[in-house]
Amino acid sequence: MSTATTEVSAIDTHARVPVLLLLGFGLVWLLVSGVLALMASVQLHTPGFMAGYAWLTYGRTQALQETAFVYGWLGNAGLGLGLWILARLAGSSLRAGNWIIVGGIFWNAGVALSLAGIMAGDMTGHALFQLPSYAQPLLFLAVGAMSVSGVLAWSDRRSEGTYAAQWYVFAALFFFPWILSVAYVSLLASPLRGVLQSIAAGWYAQNLLTLWLAPLALGAAYYVVPKITGRVLPVYQFAGLGFWTLILVGSWTGGRHLIGGPVPAWVPSLAIASASLLVLHYLLVLLNLRGVFGGGGTSMKLLAFGLIAYVGGGLADAVLSIRSISVITHFTYFAQAQQQLALYGAFSVMIFGALYYAVPRLAGRALTSATLAGGHAILIMAGVVLLVVSLGAAGWSQGHALLDPKISYPEIAAATRPWLLGASAAQALLLLGNLMLGVNFALTLSSSLLASTAPVYAPPAKLAASVS
Amino acid sequence: MSNLNDSEPPQKPLAPGLSDADLIASHEKASGKQPDEQGRFNLVPLALLFSFSALIMWSGSYMGRFSGHFDPKIFDENALPSKGVEVVAAIDPLVLGKKQYIAACVACHLPDGKGIAGVNPPLAGAEWVLGSEERLVRIVVHGLKGPIQVLGNNYNGAMPVFGRVAGSGYNWSDDKIAAVLTYIRQEWGNAAAPISTELVAAIRAKEGNRKEWTAEELLALP
Amino acid sequence: MKNGPLFFLGLFASLTFSFAGVVLFANAQLGGLTPYYDDAEGKSFPERMPGVAERGQLVYRDLGCVSCHTQQVRRPGFGADQARGWGERQSVARDFIHQPNPQVGAMRIGPDLTNLAGRKPSALDAEDLMKLLYAGQGAMPAHAFLFETVKVSGQVPAKALKLTGNLAPASGMAVVPSERAQVLVAYLLSLNTVYDYPESRPFVKAAKKTEGGIK
Repeated sequence: MSTATTEVSAIDTHARVPVLLLLGFGLVWLLVSGVLALMASVQLHTPGFMAGYAWLTYGRTQALQETAFVYGWLGNAGLGLGLWILARLAGSSLRAGNWIIVGGIFWNAGVALSLAGIMAGDMTGHALFQLPSYAQPLLFLAVGAMSVSGVLAWSDRRSEGTYAAQWYVFAALFFFPWILSVAYVSLLASPLRGVLQSIAAGWYAQNLLTLWLAPLALGAAYYVVPKITGRVLPVYQFAGLGFWTLILVGSWTGGRHLIGGPVPAWVPSLAIASASLLVLHYLLVLLNLRGVFGGGGTSMKLLAFGLIAYVGGGLADAVLSIRSISVITHFTYFAQAQQQLALYGAFSVMIFGALYYAVPRLAGRALTSATLAGGHAILIMAGVVLLVVSLGAAGWSQGHALLDPKISYPEIAAATRPWLLGASAAQALLLLGNLMLGVNFALTLSSSLLASTAPVYAPPAKLAASVS
Repeated sequence: MSNLNDSEPPQKPLAPGLSDADLIASHEKASGKQPDEQGRFNLVPLALLFSFSALIMWSGSYMGRFSGHFDPKIFDENALPSKGVEVVAAIDPLVLGKKQYIAACVACHLPDGKGIAGVNPPLAGAEWVLGSEERLVRIVVHGLKGPIQVLGNNYNGAMPVFGRVAGSGYNWSDDKIAAVLTYIRQEWGNAAAPISTELVAAIRAKEGNRKEWTAEELLALP
Repeated sequence: MKNGPLFFLGLFASLTFSFAGVVLFANAQLGGLTPYYDDAEGKSFPERMPGVAERGQLVYRDLGCVSCHTQQVRRPGFGADQARGWGERQSVARDFIHQPNPQVGAMRIGPDLTNLAGRKPSALDAEDLMKLLYAGQGAMPAHAFLFETVKVSGQVPAKALKLTGNLAPASGMAVVPSERAQVLVAYLLSLNTVYDYPESRPFVKAAKKTEGGIK
């Protein structure tokens, strides 16, 4: 069996339904959150937009778009791709596929219930944790069900050694239920006292990014990059160090959002020190994945962009969290820009890159429209850059203006307005790009379903021809 | 079979795609846990070691400087925990004294310190207020009964017991008494030295529990 | 990472380590924070907010006001919070111990609200706040859904908003705040940190001798 044809694995036929279901759900939420994000962005510069409806007041649209994006889109897509990667690396077909399907349905029911609950006013008030308390058990059970497949993939793997992608995905599967349940207890079931809620909520929000989303995105990147380049990662001997640095150090960095706040000074200081130490992880990831810059194709382009966003964002975080800078940027749109760079620019784009690799292999045919794929990639990259730059500039001017007590709030609003219009334009671009992806995905699936025989995707001819 | 018009623009033919098994195996070898063909292990490069150490030093010194030594009472990162002394909120005696005056004294001595003619003596410009501290403290701590002459006028009232002594309805701490006396000695044009908490405490310790003073007894004091 | 159980244990230990270090350690320090008894005043601070205000905080939370407003004043020298009149001292942990749901906030698209009811020279009163909520102002959206427009039969309701110009309702109608608006305003009027705790007083770099050294 030549190495090229094994690039398309027999595992993919079994994995098709569960994984494509999750990816499909994810894309639906991506579009929903795109609409909500556009609405929220418009409400910032045009406060009268939808102001008559209690269920769409800015506080709620903000919570809605965040929940739909993180738990709806990133959760579904990350878990789907992660479970597929674990199955492939295990060398055996995807186990417990039915559990994934059931889990997926519960997960998305939970997300839908959360969104309905937030519209009704049951949001918890904690950033990235706005899920109403009654919806959280659904998500917890769902991810438990889906993880069965991952656990089986790990324990029944063919080779004894494991690869970095497996560590990352497995860690993500492990961490999410734990951080969710701990946050549920500390903040909702038996809430901590006073500002300890802010500390615990900050711990959760940081770990959601560092211990769940980042491992899912990195796992996907670590898998797809060597698969496409065909080369061993350059400094793979330090991949383990990079992994453990993220896990051990990254989860201490939550207190950055409490700089100057009503918490003892050691809380933000510890976070700032940890953020500096985390630079090592970013450098190691960059060194290992730098092969992504050589490659072509939509997948590699998106992964390259995602890598730059991830590493750049992480290095920026370490520098910008220092108090002399955060005195300007804290409480401003700049913090939103940093978060969007991580959530969208890094995690989402990396997952898009992996998605373009996975979907043809799972669906058994190439994506229907190369134009839509290319268009999506360009619009996403342009949209992310515009969004981050607009919000960053808005935040920078807002921050400087806040430091000058003579500048009144109406003046600050007037100064940031053009940038916020830019951010709304960026959200429109992103939504358009994602619509293209959604249409492309739907067309691919429908033609795959309509195919008379079970199709098998054959990798591009040039790749096959170079096999010796 | 050719799929040249598929979604993936033809990828640069870098190398054949790795199979999953190859992926794992080749990376296991690269991870340096096993010796390579020449039997050498991979050592940590110096650059990595240096950067790691530099980052740890930076983080460590940041924590040393800005963590307030993990003290929960330190909210300013530049502050350091105080050694031993319990930080007590410093009470401004004039602010406290004014509060106490308004709470308890204003009914009889009036907000302008002029008192009620024939009934309650004035405090503004009164010799009892501006004069001997020993007498003034005793009046407030133990109370006063009987006739008293203030600024040439006679009064015959009853000044309640304010200090922490037996029979007191107010049980004010020495701090409070010192504060209110400091206040009345500096208000309405009065300008006399403040009264310290230590003085009040000393007088209270010396006199103990006793009934209200009379004017003659007080005049006998220095 | 060949050994599954060991890997799993490593992950669990890492998570526990960070949770213990950040949350549990902070809880050990701040969880038992008691109100500060002031001898001079004869009462403890912070004072509990009235029940109406606690219900108002729930409305504040469910509308997501925290997405634009903070409730934390930074120390003098770190930002212009004092100069903007948002508070005379830094907010500390003790300010929040009686709040079931502190809405500390992370964005200042709108001003900080810690001392909304204690602003000098003059704070907003209930009427101003009702009008602000009804009509919005600048970047703050209108929250007209918190109000009801009712037909006036006989006397104008006591709680009706005094609106003029193009905000005024049609003749014969009056704009009345709903219960949610009333409790929300009660909450906003309770926002005032009155007491200066020992730990909230600004740190002044004293002479080198009196500063503690690193032990």
